[in-house]
Amino acid sequence: MSRRLFRLPWRTRRQIGDDVDEELRFHIDMRVEELRALGLSPDAARAEAMRQFGDIDDARHYITAVDRATEAAHRRSEYMGDLRQDIVYAVRKLRSAPAFTLTVVLTLALGIGANTAIFSVVDGVLLRPLPFREPDRVMRVRFIYNGSPDAGSPPELNDFRTRNRTMQSLAMYAGASVNLVRAGADPELLVGVEVSANWFNILGVTPQLGRAFVEGEDREGAPKVAMLSDVVWRRDFDANPAVVGRAIDLNGEQVTVVGVMPAGRGYPFSAEVWVPMVFTARQLSDAYRGARYTQMIGRLKDGVSVEQAERDLSQIGAAIARAFPEDYKTLAMQPLPLQSAVVGDLRRPLWVIMGAVAFVLLIACANVANLFLVRATGRESEMAVRTALGAGRSRLVRQLVTESVLLSLIGGGAGLLLASSAMKLLLRLAPANLPRVGEATIDATALAVTIFIALATGLAFGLLPALQMDADVASALRAGARGTRTRHASARARGGIVVTEVALAVTLLVGAGLLLRSFQRLLAVDPGFRPESVLSFRVSLPDRRYASDTAQRNFVNALDERLRAMPGVRQVGIASVLPLDGSDFTLSFTVRGRPPVPANDEPATQVVAATPEFFSAIGIPVLRGRTYTREAQPGTPKEVVVSREFVRRNFANEDPLGHYIDLGWSRNGDRRGGTIIGVVGDVKQGGLDQETPPLLYIPHAQAPLGNLRVVLRTAVPPSSLTKPVHAAVRDLDRELPVFAVRPLREYVDASVGPQRFYATLVALFSLVALALAAVGLYGVIAYAVSQRTHELGVRVALGATGTRIASMVVRQGLVLTLGGVLCGVVAALLVTRVLQSLLFGVSAVDPLTFVIVLVLLVAVAALASYIPARRAARVDPLIAMRGE
Amino acid sequence: MAAESLDLLQGTLDVLVLRTLVWGDMHGYAVSRSIRQRTGGVIEIEDAPLYKALHRLERAGCVEARWGVSENNRRARFYSLTTAGRRKLREQEAAWRRYAEAVFKVLEPA
Repeated sequence: MSRRLFRLPWRTRRQIGDDVDEELRFHIDMRVEELRALGLSPDAARAEAMRQFGDIDDARHYITAVDRATEAAHRRSEYMGDLRQDIVYAVRKLRSAPAFTLTVVLTLALGIGANTAIFSVVDGVLLRPLPFREPDRVMRVRFIYNGSPDAGSPPELNDFRTRNRTMQSLAMYAGASVNLVRAGADPELLVGVEVSANWFNILGVTPQLGRAFVEGEDREGAPKVAMLSDVVWRRDFDANPAVVGRAIDLNGEQVTVVGVMPAGRGYPFSAEVWVPMVFTARQLSDAYRGARYTQMIGRLKDGVSVEQAERDLSQIGAAIARAFPEDYKTLAMQPLPLQSAVVGDLRRPLWVIMGAVAFVLLIACANVANLFLVRATGRESEMAVRTALGAGRSRLVRQLVTESVLLSLIGGGAGLLLASSAMKLLLRLAPANLPRVGEATIDATALAVTIFIALATGLAFGLLPALQMDADVASALRAGARGTRTRHASARARGGIVVTEVALAVTLLVGAGLLLRSFQRLLAVDPGFRPESVLSFRVSLPDRRYASDTAQRNFVNALDERLRAMPGVRQVGIASVLPLDGSDFTLSFTVRGRPPVPANDEPATQVVAATPEFFSAIGIPVLRGRTYTREAQPGTPKEVVVSREFVRRNFANEDPLGHYIDLGWSRNGDRRGGTIIGVVGDVKQGGLDQETPPLLYIPHAQAPLGNLRVVLRTAVPPSSLTKPVHAAVRDLDRELPVFAVRPLREYVDASVGPQRFYATLVALFSLVALALAAVGLYGVIAYAVSQRTHELGVRVALGATGTRIASMVVRQGLVLTLGGVLCGVVAALLVTRVLQSLLFGVSAVDPLTFVIVLVLLVAVAALASYIPARRAARVDPLIAMRGE
Repeated sequence: MAAESLDLLQGTLDVLVLRTLVWGDMHGYAVSRSIRQRTGGVIEIEDAPLYKALHRLERAGCVEARWGVSENNRRARFYSLTTAGRRKLREQEAAWRRYAEAVFKVLEPA
């Protein structure tokens, strides 16, 4: 099609119709004239003309339709042509201002990239529904004994199964490490979970291979079966489908694999192997009501609400408590959608991080707006010239829109790249307890939303020059590019934007500061032992081969001896529980000689079975008396050591030494316990931010446990002993897996993992925010200086010194900053309150944090204004004034 | 007027219109008159399909239309050939000649 030089104005449908009528009327009139010249009467001539024409109505219809299509096609092609022209022009414009373009693109990329990455994680962890059938119907049912949550016991499952009217089905589960032995490979300890046979029915997930457990497989005497996770199937069985139906060695037993779960679909998400949870008749008897070690899940019946289920189950709980008053004071049940149970405490920190990153996006948008405004003022004369040359306002608007959209898209593309690398970083930084984070993928919605926000910002502020451009082209042209009224308005707008940016940055920095300070406090907490130069590892003695106390004792003695003989090892301690490793063995006890208390009110303590050298190996100080020795063996007097917290709670005004403790733990008719012979320092068991629990240490030889945690205080770097440790255990029993071999320091670090993660992220974002705000401030001041060159020149000519000029410019920057700081402090006081529950040992209005942030911000602002100020100070009055 | 007339073959009208516009810009009436004169009345062409063809050709980019003033000082829609129109005319002309020759070969006594 030929190119049109001049565009005809677009025609409406009505105009097209009129044009067609006029064309046809002209034709008929001409033909009538011709026929009349031949001598026909007017009527005859018209009739003949119509006859010669044919079906005129049909023609009119057809022609009108064709013309409409033609018109539309013209519009389209013209639009495309203009668009191409706009894009070419926009690219040229952007390339001619590389600093502007690069700054905008980088700013947008930071904002969009960070937001997309974080939102993707939040979506993956918090928002995406669990991968189960009707996931909102699956409940985690919590047992609340005497007002505090605890695990449930086997007989209770039967009670709730038979009596409830609101749940389709209920199932129990409990963690159980399993030892996998394969020919030709080191034995391996897997994360195992014991589950009721209806487990996968409740979740509503089907295996990718084989079948799920079937009814009866969790009864006593049923053939041993197991299901594998996708991870184990791929890692240990080379993704071989033939593993289904084959027997594998789990905990020394031959167990048949019946199915393999799809990746990410099995619950708990960390499980590697599922085995049926088998209750013996004895375990199901009322004697086992106190054996609280299993968790319960269930699926709601159709049409039943969570509240109805809670009422129903709690009524049953109350009835149970009434029937067995020795075992229960009260028993309430609390069903909770599994999603909330999984996500739990993570909700708030993740939203805080999301909020922080949204602040970054806001600041990024403010910066972009600012940059566009600065540029807009510089383009007034360009716009005026183009208008004078005949470009309509709408044409100019389109041009500016094209530029903004182009910038936003480039920024969005760069943001996407940034997001995908940020995701990798996030997944590496994420603490291990962040569920489902591994499945998080870049979220298209988040990307689209953030690009849209950036686009809207770009549009809103990119359009300003076209909108500010009044009809007053002449004055704009005459004025060159200086001193119009709009300039003052936009200077004020820029000032406002900088104040906002600074305020946002202050808020974010205060939040980050608080998190960092509380993290620092957390690290300063004394864990109660000395984790440096200690290697720890775990060994689990399978019940089947180490059933008796003697067998367990012999193994521990042999291991102890072998490890102590190892070069580089100073001391060897073996215990059933290590501080901060997340395990917990709590028993009730009585103090001999004190009046008996009701079973429910008996005091409780965490119990650790440890070898005599454990205290010195791990570095727990002895405060009073002594610790037990190797003499403490079965048959010798029973002795125990307690922690200071134990003393505080149970012997407030008494000397604890010499008292005899009976633990609620018997084996073969032998009640565990002993005389208190010493008091040792407290250690943090759960986490550094948790309360200090009471602890009782009992000689391992007198109360063996099969779950062994070994600590080696070393004279060499702890990690260097990893191989010898494996060899030592293998020499004793080649089927035993050695696992969790790592320096004790790592336990301490891991226990603050989540806090480290949150603090790192928020600190990172606040630094980005600070940098962006500084760039924004710098841009405004630098621009103001460039606009004032003339005025500054005059001042210099009149005798102002460079220092004076510079301080004037810096002052301008600081005024803006202080305005922002004030708003920011107020905002921070309001906003940081949501952080309170994430803080440790720091108040949400910690004055030190606020002061540090303010000093930091003012310093950065001073620097950002100083650079343009220096330039201003060097203004040559002659050049400045001539340049006008 | 001719006693007998031939039905127009598909697309023939387009060629006739394009060929007519080679002489210069014309309004629809002039195109109609010119074709009538040149076919010597052998083919009676109604004006309705003629106008349809003109607008169809405009849609296809073979002709361009603009409003102008006729010889008797009235506003009229003038059509002119575009480059694409000329190309199309050349192609169609060649095709027509080949077609006509083939028909003649059949009709001529052997």
